[in-house]
Amino acid sequence: MRRTARLLTGTALAVAAAGTLAAPAYAGEAVAPVGRPHGAPAGSLEVYPSSVAPGTQVTVNTAACGGEGTADGDSTAVGAGRFALAPSTHEREVIGRFRVPPSAQPGTYEIVATCAESGRRVTGDLVVTLVSGSQQVYPRGSVKTGIGGALGPDPVQTAAGVTALAVAAAGGTWLLHRRARGDGI
Amino acid sequence: MRRRFRRTGSPGNAAIAAVTVFALCSGLWLLRDGAGTQAPPQPSAAQAHTGGDNRSGGRAAAPALPPSPPDRIRIPSIDVDAPLTGLGLTETGSLDVPPADRKNLAGWYEAGTTPGETGTAIIAGHVDNADGPAVFYSLGALRKGSTIEVDRRDGGVAVFTVDAVEVYDGRDFPDARVYGAAPRPELRVITCGGDWSRTTGYQGNVVVYAHLTGGR
Repeated sequence: MRRTARLLTGTALAVAAAGTLAAPAYAGEAVAPVGRPHGAPAGSLEVYPSSVAPGTQVTVNTAACGGEGTADGDSTAVGAGRFALAPSTHEREVIGRFRVPPSAQPGTYEIVATCAESGRRVTGDLVVTLVSGSQQVYPRGSVKTGIGGALGPDPVQTAAGVTALAVAAAGGTWLLHRRARGDGI
Repeated sequence: MRRRFRRTGSPGNAAIAAVTVFALCSGLWLLRDGAGTQAPPQPSAAQAHTGGDNRSGGRAAAPALPPSPPDRIRIPSIDVDAPLTGLGLTETGSLDVPPADRKNLAGWYEAGTTPGETGTAIIAGHVDNADGPAVFYSLGALRKGSTIEVDRRDGGVAVFTVDAVEVYDGRDFPDARVYGAAPRPELRVITCGGDWSRTTGYQGNVVVYAHLTGGR
């Protein structure tokens, strides 16, 4: 029993030490989100939907863990426990899911993911509201998705046509000229 | 060869006469065709919703997928393959549109349902911009039973089958039908359409109705 306790204390100390050492190392790291127009910012945990009603499933993803790794997710703040983040086919991201318990109270909760390899910790906010998804705001009316730019003449085709007519005019002139000189046609 | 032409006239004359006639014809054709309007295709009445309304090529609805934002839309039958950006609402409550200068970019309504999830997911894109045809130029040519694929950020692909293609006038837009909730995973793909006038532009929208029939 004493032995187990000592072991646990030792592990806890080691984890704490690793955390202290690792934190400053990553704090100053500049992350360049190159060629990632749709994903989460590389240094954060993207929570989707970011605002949910109790009982809803939430997807989180981050690019902070780099290529192949996995990550441990922690949603105990909102009462949903721990979950795993696995690599997704989306470039260099890990993704995971959890369900907000039906008993969750409205508020803002911090969701945490810790990269398995680097130990890097990223967080994202989840807002729990009492408005359910079915009461979402729907758009109204038509959508302005065109101005008629496809309706005018095609400039390339027009230019080709003008060029062809110019060639025809030149040819015609030349033939008439030859005929006038009596070269025979 | 040469000798034969000599008898009737010089070979140069014959060749030039031929080129002249060809250039004249093709020039006239190019100008007439090029100056003509190239209005985007509009759906025929046969593609509209029919009475029973569940004839989408006999494809049964697939079970809903968990929510995950979409990244890309593909409609193979009209050669659409475009990234998606998030869209919000304008001040008047209508759906916002993607930036017009990127002609191969579509958008999805971020505050709504994600494609594949139960409910009505909404995707919109331009039919044209100032330079000419844009991402959904051919949307009106889509037919019932066609496939629409949406890549999701969780790595999955939501596969939808087209139920109907309608065109609505903007002054009498059926909001509830287009945007309203659905008991199964559905998708609407919207672009401009209907009559066009120089002052007001397109009068309405082409709306494609589809429901989830698979995933991978």
